[in-house]
Amino acid sequence: MSLLEVEGLSVRFGGLRAVRELTFSVERGEILGLIGPNGAGKTTVFNLVTGFVRPSAGVVRLEGRPLTGLRPHAVVRRGAARTFQIVKPFPGLSVRENVTVAAFVRHPVRRDAEARAEEVLERVGLAHRAGTAAGQLTLLDQKRLEVAKALATSPRLLLLDEPMGGLNPAEVDAASALVARIRDEGITVVLVEHVMKAIMAISSRVVVMNQGEKIAEGPPARVVEEPAVLAAYFGRRGA
Amino acid sequence: METFVQSVVSGALTGSLYAMIGVGLTVVFGVMRIINLAHGEMVMLGMFGAYWAQARWHLDPFLSILLWAPLMFLAGMAIYRFLLRKIVPGGELNTLLYTAGLSLLVANVALLAWSGDYRTISLSYGAEPVRPFGIAIAVPLLVAFALAYALTAALWLFLTRTDLGRAIRATSQSPEAAILMGIDVDRVATFTFGLGTALAAAAGVLLAPSLYLYPTVGELLIVKCFVIVVLGGLGSIPGAIAGGVLLGVVESLGAVYVSSTYKDGIGFVIFLAVLLYRPAGLFGVGRS
Amino acid sequence: MRRAAPWLALLAAALAVPAVVRSSFALHVLVLVLFWATLGAAWNVLGGLAGQVSFGHAALVGVGAYTTMILYLRAGIAPWWGIPAGGAVAALASLPVGIVCFRLRGPYFSLATLAVAELVRLVAQNFEALTNGPTGFLITTLPPLRLGGWTVNWEAKGPFYVTAVLLAAVALASTAWLKGSRLGAWLVALRENEDAAEAVGIDTTRAKVLTLAHSAFLAGMGGGFYAFYFRYVDPDAVCNIGLSMEMVFIAMVGGLGTVGGPLAGALFLTAVAEVVREHFQVGHLVFYGLCMMLVIRFLPEGIWGRLHRRIARPRRAAADVALGG
Repeated sequence: MSLLEVEGLSVRFGGLRAVRELTFSVERGEILGLIGPNGAGKTTVFNLVTGFVRPSAGVVRLEGRPLTGLRPHAVVRRGAARTFQIVKPFPGLSVRENVTVAAFVRHPVRRDAEARAEEVLERVGLAHRAGTAAGQLTLLDQKRLEVAKALATSPRLLLLDEPMGGLNPAEVDAASALVARIRDEGITVVLVEHVMKAIMAISSRVVVMNQGEKIAEGPPARVVEEPAVLAAYFGRRGA
Repeated sequence: METFVQSVVSGALTGSLYAMIGVGLTVVFGVMRIINLAHGEMVMLGMFGAYWAQARWHLDPFLSILLWAPLMFLAGMAIYRFLLRKIVPGGELNTLLYTAGLSLLVANVALLAWSGDYRTISLSYGAEPVRPFGIAIAVPLLVAFALAYALTAALWLFLTRTDLGRAIRATSQSPEAAILMGIDVDRVATFTFGLGTALAAAAGVLLAPSLYLYPTVGELLIVKCFVIVVLGGLGSIPGAIAGGVLLGVVESLGAVYVSSTYKDGIGFVIFLAVLLYRPAGLFGVGRS
Repeated sequence: MRRAAPWLALLAAALAVPAVVRSSFALHVLVLVLFWATLGAAWNVLGGLAGQVSFGHAALVGVGAYTTMILYLRAGIAPWWGIPAGGAVAALASLPVGIVCFRLRGPYFSLATLAVAELVRLVAQNFEALTNGPTGFLITTLPPLRLGGWTVNWEAKGPFYVTAVLLAAVALASTAWLKGSRLGAWLVALRENEDAAEAVGIDTTRAKVLTLAHSAFLAGMGGGFYAFYFRYVDPDAVCNIGLSMEMVFIAMVGGLGTVGGPLAGALFLTAVAEVVREHFQVGHLVFYGLCMMLVIRFLPEGIWGRLHRRIARPRRAAADVALGG
């Protein structure tokens, strides 16, 4: 049984079919890349899976149990956590407090939550910034915080929405290494990304979307050469 | 059947006047995302302006709109420029509460100045209703309706045909884009607040001959105004007009057919229903 | 417990006041301050801690007031039971309202509370069988309270004052408790960013509904006290929007989200009202409005918030204080 199963997922916003009949699965222990041109519907898929948007059709299952229709907090409790493309920290709180709040869901006692937060901060490399107000971090650190908050909820599945956006090449490498480490520690990852270097380096498999539909699936090196994928990114002539 | 038509007509007429109050509020919200809780007091000032114009200068209250609208326009600009502008960066809540404080201040100063007595305006030509097609319509209401219609048409022309009007609509759709296009958003905001205030005062002048006047009437009016503006969609002028007419008709029919004691309640129930099921309103601008 | 010490000292001092202060008028003013502090604290729990601005809290006060009145005048249940009962009924009534209204955010939520409050007022005014309509209820005599060997007659202000102190103490203490609890931490998160709060597993609706119930309980008890002390309740007195706004003002002027804010706000505004009453006879609301505008412009953290910042020990990182631990 796959960790995450998406079947026939669809949603419309007004007259626009943002996601159509999407079907794919995510296996335990892999890093699945979700790529496609802008407007393909990738973030919408995240919103659908994590309960921020209700689908008009289709099912999402985590370890066999349906996730569709649950509110976001309930999805987190089931074990799927996400980050946002435009980071959403708790700006007035310190880095430590941001992650402690996230840890409360699995560690109701404050002391345990604080311990878990320290642990997570170490893992993502933010321990030295624990006392800084979240609104005052550099972009890379803000992205680290975003991941830290998601990790603090002890997820089995982590959905990362364009974590590399705006980072320079060295930072992209550091971030990719972090994602790979997270996978090595047993968390399955779905990664939406435009920075192809990262996708090629760490994903085991890739799903390509265009205009709300899946157009290709498979190992990254093979998929990016498919004519349909090239056409989606570059138009007919580039294929 | 005749009662039904009578109710609908008088409800629609009254509702159109309420709509004018809503238009002022919604224009300000559309451009600046400010909900002005003192809006009801602006209307009240217009109402009292009309009253004093008649009592002191024997001026027909409807004519006094030529005096009060421009004056309140300037007052509105001043309020924004010298008071509100520094508050807005502090957030929606602070701005909302600031306008609440302003509302309390203005209403109570008026109360001190003019006492809480209920006043009415009587017009020499308002004694007998006209009866087109056998439906009785009070003359002041009809005159007010005609003037409101003219004013709204003028507003529409302003917003669609002039540069400043277009700048206002652009800022309303996207302040960021407006700045990028070289629109001085701050000046637009100042102008718009003045405009909203002037519209409120104008609505007050038009309503004055048809309602009881007292300094705290703003409390009642602002609540109706919210219902209208939410019904029609915050930020939408056609929405405010439609919302006003709808509320007027519903209240009028409700008073006759359901219960006159609970008639105000009907508006609120519809208000809650719209907030819950169609929060963008019937014609909402849709930005949440 | 160290931080509770100054509060406990204040409580002890407050309870000792009637032994020293005999003036009926002075005690009455103090009762007013404590009453407003309780109401302000009630609003502050929802508005300051959860960040949900309600303009309809007077309705909850009204529910508490009417409950206490009806229990006493129709069922003979003494007000010292009626006051907590009023709180409980208000809390229960707030549950469906919260579940419905919290589907809205920001100004839409505030407008919805306005509508709900007006509906409650209409019911109070028209459902005569239950609420006596516009006539309202009047208490002519209060039963004596027998505690151990003592009998309390409600002739002097002293016993009312003590009751008010206890109510305000409950209000402020429960606010402090909430701030330090896990629910309090969730509220901070949801105030800062509601989507992010959901994304870390916080059930934001449940948090808001529970906080509203807490707020309603305090407001309802305040309403019960109103019935008990002022002895007259009618729809315009307790269910009016002016009362809602005064509750907001007290919390705001005192310091949104702070424990001591409502007390500071009530002290300040009652002092203003008394001074105005002495020199001008009327128009204290003018000064309320003016103060509100001045505070938001020049002192947005409120009186208590500003004092607290001056006194608070600088070595604690400002951000770390936020989670209340």
